[in-house]
Amino acid sequence: MDFVSENLLTLLILLPVVGAVGLIAHQMFWKQEEHLKWVTLAITVVVFLLSLLLLGEGGTKAGGFSFVKNVPWIEAINTNYHVGVDGLSLWLVILTTFIMPIAIISTWHAVEKRPLAFYAFLLLLQSAMIGVFVSLDLLVFYLFFEASLVPMFFLIGIWGGANRIYAAVKFFIFTAVGSLLMLVAIIALYFMHQQATGVGTFDFVTLLGSIESGTLAFSASTGLLLFIAFALAFSIKVPLFPFHTWLPDAHTEAPTAGSVILAAVLLKMGTYGLMRFNFPLFPEAARELAPIFIILAIIGIIYGALVAMVQPDVKRLVAYSSVAHMGFVILGMFSFTEWGMQGALYQMLNHGISTGALFLLVGFIYERRHTREISEFGGLANVMPLYATFFVITAMSSIGLPFLNGFVGEFMIMIGMWKSSILAVTATANWNYIATMAAGTGVIFAAVYLLWMIQRVFFGKVTNEKNRGLVDLSPREIGLMIPLLFLMVFMGVYPRPFLDRSRDAVVAIQERVVKQAGGTVEVVETFEKE
Amino acid sequence: MVENNLLSIIIFAPLAGALINWLIGGRLKNEMFSGLVACGSIAISTIVAFYLAFVAGGGALFNQKPTLDHIWTWINVAGFRADFALGMDPLSGIYACFITFVGLLIHIFATGYMHGDKGFYRFFAYLNLFMFSMLTLVLADNYLLMFVGWEGVGLCSYLLIGYYVKKNEAREAAKKAFVMNRIGDWGVLMGIFLVFTLTGSISFFDKTVDGVEVQSVFTYVLANMQAEPFTWGAIIAGGLTSIGVLLFIGATGKSAQIPLLTWLPDAMAGPTPVSALIHAATMVTAGVYLVVRSNAIYQLSPTAMWIIAVIGAATAIFAATIAIAQNDIKKVLAYSTVSQLGFMFLAAGVGAFVVAIFHVMTHAFFKALLFLGSGSVIHGMHHEQDMRRMGNLKKYMPITFITMVMGWLAIAGIPIWAGFFSKDEILYKTFAADKYFQNGYFPGNEILWAVAVVTAILTAIYMTRMMVMTFWGEERFHEVLPGEEHHGHDAHADAYTDDDEDEHHHALPPDFKPHESPWVMTVPLIILAFLSTVGGLVGIPYAMSSLPVVSSIVGKEANHFEHVLDPVVAEVQTPAAEKARENAKAHSPEAISTERWLALLSIVLAAVGIAIGWFGFRSNPLRKMPKILEDKWRLDELYNGYIVDPLTRLSTNTLWKGFDLGFIDGIVNGIGSFVSELGGIARNIQGGFVRSYAAFIIGGAILVLGYFVYYGYKLIG
Repeated sequence: MDFVSENLLTLLILLPVVGAVGLIAHQMFWKQEEHLKWVTLAITVVVFLLSLLLLGEGGTKAGGFSFVKNVPWIEAINTNYHVGVDGLSLWLVILTTFIMPIAIISTWHAVEKRPLAFYAFLLLLQSAMIGVFVSLDLLVFYLFFEASLVPMFFLIGIWGGANRIYAAVKFFIFTAVGSLLMLVAIIALYFMHQQATGVGTFDFVTLLGSIESGTLAFSASTGLLLFIAFALAFSIKVPLFPFHTWLPDAHTEAPTAGSVILAAVLLKMGTYGLMRFNFPLFPEAARELAPIFIILAIIGIIYGALVAMVQPDVKRLVAYSSVAHMGFVILGMFSFTEWGMQGALYQMLNHGISTGALFLLVGFIYERRHTREISEFGGLANVMPLYATFFVITAMSSIGLPFLNGFVGEFMIMIGMWKSSILAVTATANWNYIATMAAGTGVIFAAVYLLWMIQRVFFGKVTNEKNRGLVDLSPREIGLMIPLLFLMVFMGVYPRPFLDRSRDAVVAIQERVVKQAGGTVEVVETFEKE
Repeated sequence: MVENNLLSIIIFAPLAGALINWLIGGRLKNEMFSGLVACGSIAISTIVAFYLAFVAGGGALFNQKPTLDHIWTWINVAGFRADFALGMDPLSGIYACFITFVGLLIHIFATGYMHGDKGFYRFFAYLNLFMFSMLTLVLADNYLLMFVGWEGVGLCSYLLIGYYVKKNEAREAAKKAFVMNRIGDWGVLMGIFLVFTLTGSISFFDKTVDGVEVQSVFTYVLANMQAEPFTWGAIIAGGLTSIGVLLFIGATGKSAQIPLLTWLPDAMAGPTPVSALIHAATMVTAGVYLVVRSNAIYQLSPTAMWIIAVIGAATAIFAATIAIAQNDIKKVLAYSTVSQLGFMFLAAGVGAFVVAIFHVMTHAFFKALLFLGSGSVIHGMHHEQDMRRMGNLKKYMPITFITMVMGWLAIAGIPIWAGFFSKDEILYKTFAADKYFQNGYFPGNEILWAVAVVTAILTAIYMTRMMVMTFWGEERFHEVLPGEEHHGHDAHADAYTDDDEDEHHHALPPDFKPHESPWVMTVPLIILAFLSTVGGLVGIPYAMSSLPVVSSIVGKEANHFEHVLDPVVAEVQTPAAEKARENAKAHSPEAISTERWLALLSIVLAAVGIAIGWFGFRSNPLRKMPKILEDKWRLDELYNGYIVDPLTRLSTNTLWKGFDLGFIDGIVNGIGSFVSELGGIARNIQGGFVRSYAAFIIGGAILVLGYFVYYGYKLIG
């Protein structure tokens, strides 16, 4: 057991890779294609159970990492395999391991061509995603970040819909272009550290220490450039308006498992990166550029909602709703308040669960009808009552109905923005109220686009004869939805276990950003009154 | 602080009922079981609510301190604390009592009304879920938990309006209701943020949780904040007035006031018990609750109060003019509800918070009665709702008829019936606003009073018209309506059950005879009729109880209602507010004489209204009404033409097709094809897809190398 807990993160990263190799070996010797999904499922379930061990210590060390493993990797360039979790990454790792079995079961009967490659890519993707969330060495992080791209590229490009090639290439171009600049910035940091201390390093903790102690200092403009290089990669991943146009295509063309993972985990890599690297490394730049990000986030919230409203395709609608939701996450992070940043982290999890569930639900109906056009449906509540019930509950979670998970996150983000002083021009002209009010309209629009879609798809009489014979959810599909629905309610009613774990890590980042305030940003208050 | 854990039973009993019906009732499909579970759970709530309000620890209604129950701490982040905790003070006690009691009657009624419906269990699960949300709303001890209930009732309202999922108008109405409520919710949410920012609390009551002292919003406001000036600028100043306006935006959504009123009449597409419970007696009065609950804030922000009064009066008369021209019996009652809610806001706006709540209560009795009565009529008429095809029903449905007469007299404002006392006091408090308004001078109160008086006459007219068309005159069961070949299709809201494939409600058979409803429906009617008759006697104003004849029966101080609510209305320490309180206590001879004359005037006007209605429609029940009123002032068309359609066009053409597909993707695709051209050298080596992929990798590598060299050179060199 000691071995497991000492190497837990490494196990989590390696197990899926080993599993992928095992799949290939299995196929070479037995040629039993129907075994593949069972093996894959077993691996992901084991990984999920193992990841729960992280709850033992993860996030409990104030300001530090748990389950740390730091061994030299390429000594010539001083790269270490350095991994660890804290409150920020803990839940994201668990979200990843939790969503994988669900994604695999979701395509239980849907993979017809080349199942071996499909499942192998899924497992590789999982390794890469976990790697992204636990890497503490910038170069290793970058490698995982890029590595996650390739399996997803093929998942979309091979198992996707009619327009898959276009979507896959677009996805690749957008995300890869952004991350190239990040690589440049990582290398620049290496050399700057070398210049300042004599030793170049990619190690995040070392770099952070040097920056905090003042050993490594850069001019305001260099800081801005580095911040932008990182932020561009992450903003495209999120995606932040106006870099969002790859998302609807990628989501719409991807197979259900791909869409679920894309929404639940891949997008979070962007917001996670901003919080993990951009804020602590370049706090001044973060403060300086915050208004721009806030404005783009608000545009994204409203824009995503408006465009979602008029989509004729259900999946595309959900994809655009992601743009709006992720806008909220960005908004909360850049408020630099504990409420906003905790809310942002919580909203990442919520979005993963709610939007993941929505994509699953869209997948269910696509498997039955092979279309997602809203106009093809109508009156589904009559033939598939359980499906309709699940869909409405999930939509309500996405809309942000209180006592479902979405509300807690959005509420905290908005109160964080409201109380933030990041937009304070002077003592009296504080734009944070206006920003919150504008973002708040997204709550209205969310109800409009989702309920309008529900109204057209589920209510009324069955008008299309093809829908008359549809069968309601199978036990497999119900089983998939139950844990997600449970989490929606649980996270809405009792958010404290999650927030308590992430608190220390988030507050450390928040204090880091607001600490070196140059007069415009004071440490944001917790309200104390005697 | 009084702790009593029984409080949570009031809300959790209906929740348990909802879950049982949803999980077990759905399998059993047994009406007896579902009905018993639903009514039983509400009965438990009712008993506990009355026990806590009147008995336990002297009764929450009569204590100065609220009864509290902390269940768990929901959110507690960086000084923002939202407990899942309940509190019962006189205000929430009164609400809880009439919600549970009227709710229980409506549940019983519904077991008869929904008899034979395929979704019987589902209906009662929703109805119980609604009760849970509504009781959470009023018993919540802080703004955020109140908002949970606030959104919860919106959700249940959505589910119940859309209950007949096959009807187009039902699903359209359900969505409209939710969205319009959401617009209001935005205001509430922003209001809560501002409350927290200004006071550092969102709690309604002073309390101690886990050893931490939590100060209530209102205690803080009263101790630390000044009355704000009566100016337009105060609205956007970010102070108490801003809170008041933001919260009131929420109230306009939930309580269907101008401009967010159009959803409520459409909501009548739901089953009639739903209309009675949600869209008349309980949920729609949540806006009034919010305003009265926040009265400490409002008393210091005269601008917000003035806006509330003006919107309330405007809505009252606007809806009344529409009600007079509707032919659907439920639509008449729906607009009547909007109009009555306007009265309540008028009362709250002029500072008569207690009177507003008094009217909420009496209205709950008589409007629930009228809606259930209309449900009984619709039931007896085989789901006919158009009054033009009714007439002479008093012959066939005597109990329904007599009980509805009680409701009619109550809403028209005939003395001793419940509506008289509450409505009359609203009129008087508006007329004398300068005397009782907590901020002294109230501009335009005479105009508001005049508007309210005209509305009162209109109320008597449209109610009389409704009664005459339904219960008197010829039997018109087979009337062919103008513009219709056979019996109308759109007027039959309740006719369809889940498996009913035929949306066309067939014409009534030639030998059709309406029938009286079963006892489960008439007994609630009788009880509500009784309450509508005597329910107002708990709040007889001093001016009337001091009349020699009256005081010999009830005593001089008969306004028990006012005193019960005393602890709820904050005692603001401004000179104007103190003067207003003095005036209210003084009972000066001039004030009493004014109030008596006004009461006499409104009795006369009610009689005049009834007379107009009687003589105008008794002989000619199908009298043509002005088209613009029948079309509801074309408000829906206005909203669609100027807001919904332009927004849809903007989203489709400019944002999606223009910006996303045209501009951004245009750039990306342009770059893409440029790279492909570069990669053209490799054309005959690989297929197109891999080619552009490879070309991209090459392009990217060049890019990265360039940057690397550039930066490396700059940094090292």
